Amino acid sequence: MKNFSYLLIALFASIIVVSCQKEDDINPNDKNTVILEFDNRVGDQKLVLGTTTAKNSLNEDFTVTRLNYFVSNIALKNENGEVVKFPNQYFLVRQSDPNSLLIKLDNVPAGNYNEVSYMIGVDSLKSVSDVSQRTGVLDPASYGDDFMYWSWNSGYIFFKMEGKSSAIPPNMMNMTEYAFHVGGFGGMTGKTINNLRTITLPMANTAQVRRDVSPQIHVIHDVSKVFNGVNQISIAKTYMVHSPDAGIPIGQNYAKSFIVDHVHNEKD
Amino acid sequence: MVSGLIYLGVACSKDDSPEIEPEVLFRVPPNFPKPVYDFSKNPLTKEGVELGKILFFDGNLSRDGTISCAECHSQPSAFTHHGHDLSHGIDNKIGIRNSMPIQNMAFQKEFFWDGGVFDLDLFSIAPIENPVEMDEKLGNVLEKLRKQEKYTTLFQKAYGSKEITTERFLKALSQFMLTLVSANSLYDKYVRKEAGGILSSEELEGLAIFKQKCASCHSGELFTDLSYRNNGLPVYNKEDTGRQRITAIQTDSYKFKVPSLRNVAMTAPYMHDGRFYSLDAVLNHYTDGVIESKTLDGLLMNNETPGIALTKDEKAKLIAFLKTLTDEEFLKNKKFGI
Repeated sequence: MKNFSYLLIALFASIIVVSCQKEDDINPNDKNTVILEFDNRVGDQKLVLGTTTAKNSLNEDFTVTRLNYFVSNIALKNENGEVVKFPNQYFLVRQSDPNSLLIKLDNVPAGNYNEVSYMIGVDSLKSVSDVSQRTGVLDPASYGDDFMYWSWNSGYIFFKMEGKSSAIPPNMMNMTEYAFHVGGFGGMTGKTINNLRTITLPMANTAQVRRDVSPQIHVIHDVSKVFNGVNQISIAKTYMVHSPDAGIPIGQNYAKSFIVDHVHNEKD
Repeated sequence: MVSGLIYLGVACSKDDSPEIEPEVLFRVPPNFPKPVYDFSKNPLTKEGVELGKILFFDGNLSRDGTISCAECHSQPSAFTHHGHDLSHGIDNKIGIRNSMPIQNMAFQKEFFWDGGVFDLDLFSIAPIENPVEMDEKLGNVLEKLRKQEKYTTLFQKAYGSKEITTERFLKALSQFMLTLVSANSLYDKYVRKEAGGILSSEELEGLAIFKQKCASCHSGELFTDLSYRNNGLPVYNKEDTGRQRITAIQTDSYKFKVPSLRNVAMTAPYMHDGRFYSLDAVLNHYTDGVIESKTLDGLLMNNETPGIALTKDEKAKLIAFLKTLTDEEFLKNKKFGI
């Protein structure tokens, strides 16, 4: 009996060892999806459009009524420094559309990834491409009233944040709205402002893609940093931003407003 | 059914007959430079051009159905807005710029007075979505068209299926605009040594003055070097800094595109804000009205005083020459109207 139980333990142990080995064994032919979740927050508060009220570092109150941004040129880097790119995939994150907050990357090779990078905006190559290349979220006809394209200065609005603030000096229309529209890809026929920002985020716990594991990378975007990520923005002074040059400080700020909070590696 | 087939048979044999030449939709005039537009991305077809023309004249492209492209771009004025210094759009709202002629579009590398649009296929979105022009959303326009059988049929004819997409819509408008080539003025016949191409002595003297004093900016057969320059206009609207709005470069402040002078006698008023109602007023500006500023074009600073020296007699000759750039065939071609 004693011998038998030893045998059992040994058997169990070997099963554990075998299964562990199997898990660590990365088969490069295995592929799975990776989900990038964009969790837009205001500081330590949940962002509810039009409702959540917060203050920036200048003690100016604000709400957010609209928040949209393009995510493109996503890349994942694994432990060996190899980079997997996802070219020609463009996503429009809209806070008002919960589905758009989850970006799905298909056919990611198995591996342990410890860095993710992406661009906020639409790269210059796509920004000058033929209209036949502008489909899906890049279709200028797809935005309705919530436009993400400048027709007078051909180019996409990369990042758009609108809301209210009592800091805005009262005007004739009694409006208290701020609007930050940031775009500018660098120009086609002449050099213009370039507000394309690539964001590179390390992942403390790796995203472990396996045949049966499709990780979810939880990205937190703190919109309060749009006001002070690098440059201090006073809403009282800056509340209408509708051109590439006016958008530079805001672009520099939101480039510093994202972090990877954690990664889920649950089995499918 | 049988008669239908016979009819088709007849039509086919007719089409195959070698005597009928296919209609040329676009041709580079012999005295013109190479086109900038990439036709390989949007080959012109008779049906595509026809669709574009119908769209061009359709008020459905505007929010309330009242303003078509042709409203501010009318053929007898070389497809500009005659009699309005600033373009009048929807609800009688007034824009900040004078509408530009639509002609020889295949040869432009940028569009609008500030060159903010670099592709003809993206050009049409701007007036459609401008709140003081047509004030509509591109998506709504496509929805309106999709509901009309007239359009699904026209798109089917032009593209082989009824689908109405952004690309098809914009490229059809481009196709029509690309056919608007003006290159048969008296001047053209003169330079191409064609029948009837005889300029009077006054016109010839005007041409000589033009070459000497105007052609460094209004250069070549397009009569523009396609650059942006500050021609010394007193600033009426500080906000409209022209090319600077696009490039954000201070040295581009108050620079506007050098316009083509083709059909210039028909495209009054003049300048980006339509401040001059006659060619006399324009020439008077160049002789007496040029204002010095940081970004004033160097070519207007050749003399002690800024501007261009011209006598009254020279001005009259210049205007006589400029009138030879009027292309009656273009202005009256029934093909361009509905």
